[in-house]
Amino acid sequence: MVALALAPAFAPASAQRTFVIAFANLTEEPGVTLEGTGFTGREIRESVALAARGLPVEMVYYDNQRDDARALANAEAAIARKVDLYIQYHRGAANAAVGEKLRAAGVKVLAVNAPVPGAPLYTADNEAAGRLAGEALAQFAARAWRGQSQMAAAIVGPVSASAERVPERVQGVTRALGQRLPAVRVTVIDTKGNPAQVGPLAGKFIGAHPTGKLLLAATDDATALALKAAVEQAGRVQDAAIVSHGVDRSIHGGMNDRKEIDPANRASIVIGSVAFYLDRYGYDLLPLAMRMLRGDAVPARVTTRHLLVTAANVYVEYPPSDMN
Amino acid sequence: MKPRAIVAVGSALMVLAFGSAAFAQTDCKKLVPASPWGPNDQTGATNRITPAVTKAAAAEIRDGKVIAMSYPLTDGVPLFGSRFTKTILTAVSLAPGASFGENQLTYMEDTWLSQSHVGTHLDGMGHIGRQDCYYNQTPMGKYINQNNMTKLGLEHLKPFATRGVIIDMVKVYQQANKLKTNAACKKACIEKGTVITAADLQAGLRMYNVTLREGDIVIIHTGWGDLFEQFPAQNALYNSGEPGIGKEAATWLISQKVVAVGSDTWAVEVIPGEDPKEAFIVHNMLLTDNGIHIIENVRTDLMAAEAAASGRATFFFSMTVPKGVGMTGNFVGIEGIR
Repeated sequence: MVALALAPAFAPASAQRTFVIAFANLTEEPGVTLEGTGFTGREIRESVALAARGLPVEMVYYDNQRDDARALANAEAAIARKVDLYIQYHRGAANAAVGEKLRAAGVKVLAVNAPVPGAPLYTADNEAAGRLAGEALAQFAARAWRGQSQMAAAIVGPVSASAERVPERVQGVTRALGQRLPAVRVTVIDTKGNPAQVGPLAGKFIGAHPTGKLLLAATDDATALALKAAVEQAGRVQDAAIVSHGVDRSIHGGMNDRKEIDPANRASIVIGSVAFYLDRYGYDLLPLAMRMLRGDAVPARVTTRHLLVTAANVYVEYPPSDMN
Repeated sequence: MKPRAIVAVGSALMVLAFGSAAFAQTDCKKLVPASPWGPNDQTGATNRITPAVTKAAAAEIRDGKVIAMSYPLTDGVPLFGSRFTKTILTAVSLAPGASFGENQLTYMEDTWLSQSHVGTHLDGMGHIGRQDCYYNQTPMGKYINQNNMTKLGLEHLKPFATRGVIIDMVKVYQQANKLKTNAACKKACIEKGTVITAADLQAGLRMYNVTLREGDIVIIHTGWGDLFEQFPAQNALYNSGEPGIGKEAATWLISQKVVAVGSDTWAVEVIPGEDPKEAFIVHNMLLTDNGIHIIENVRTDLMAAEAAASGRATFFFSMTVPKGVGMTGNFVGIEGIR
């Protein structure tokens, strides 16, 4: 999942020292989704726990609760606990002080999605993800609607959510569409984080383009599903294609879930979603952490390997391997 | 265990059977190893159950005590994906005037509508493959029709009359002070996602001074079956994951030349798996590559208790597998006899 080739070749656990690694999560508040996707903090922490299974590590977990004071207190607790490495996932002014305290105590720091001065950063690449979504829409248009002169595009979602860097996602989509389909006008529709607004706002856009084809980029999966409903309500299923961002469980599902992206649902107008893999962060973070603990050099910035997930590869990326 | 992906592949294979070439070009020699029992082998690891193996296993019967190792198969038990099992009773002769003859004979019977991989069940050779390649490099696209397989069906298996060995992982983890349990289990259980290693299995064998023999069937007690017993209340939790063997433990079991591996879980292997992008990889390793059967949803608690009480972890493994022609697996009845 990491853009760089990370060497996971660890010696057997029994032959190695066990390291203590702390993971301080952004928030574990139920229902709160992160990074402008449908993933929760709990899913991130669980991925860390799963990834730790095969490594010579003891994990300690903290919840920063999106609060600077809590973030500082967690770092102090970890120092008292004598952890070897601290994975800091927090957005706020406290990151600088947290980094200083940990470094003064000899604790290595790895930052997630928001920088900690002096620490390597593991982060989503929203611009790259947006480009993938835009290119997917453009390729679909070239394949399915060749020769179609009337086409309009919209990017829909909480597009101004700068803390989650959704504007970078929007920029990526816009650039890709601009390069591939320069004649197509792109409208940006800000739902301001209110999913109930997707239908009415998208409905207006659809109504304003009563003929021709519609290329729709949703900034997250929940928005994509709401967009799909809006298209259906307008009777424009034949005229629309949607690409989303995230690939959370609402869209790839478990065994018994109704899955929007599914080999058995190839006709869906949601033609794909760009994966953000927050539910697999642990599998990227812990190998990085192990390299740091062994004294190996790591890049200053490592990004998630985003990938367009469609009905053709969803079972490869997300095998539905629970029974639910 | 039969993920929907496999169902999808199965559907594709049905198309193949009627002439499509989507998978027909697969070179199975590159994807699946050859059977050590030759190119025509459809029997797999039950080849190891020779008369000598069965005779040696019979020595495990000392008291004649029979211990149930299957769960009741009834509506409401946890099922994988969209599977179903349903019985319909036919009792028309109980109607007034419908009995036969002066002796007033009446009768009843059942229609059992069920998929085969439900309840306590055996995974056969045709259950799991890589693309359309199954055990012994079988290009399965050539050997399926609308109703069944024409290779690797259950009818080719030898009787499972051999020695069973129970490995009590709960006890191993308790003694190692590393048991992480789940609060929903009424008895001690190992939490889902826990990877059982070869060292764990070996510790469980040492606990009862057992050395595995070629032809053994290994049954792993994790305690997770306690959730199955609470059906339907804990079905969602039971289905959400499980403790189980990882790839390294599977490799070790393969090296021990066992016939089957069973557990009180729905897939025997750890879920979520060790690599999130691999699907049921231990199934591939055991079944597809080595012809070693997997037995799921085994009732293990009674035998684990028996072993703890007696200090003996071995038993005669008695399991009836119907000669289901062309079938990929079936529910089974298992008794451990001591």
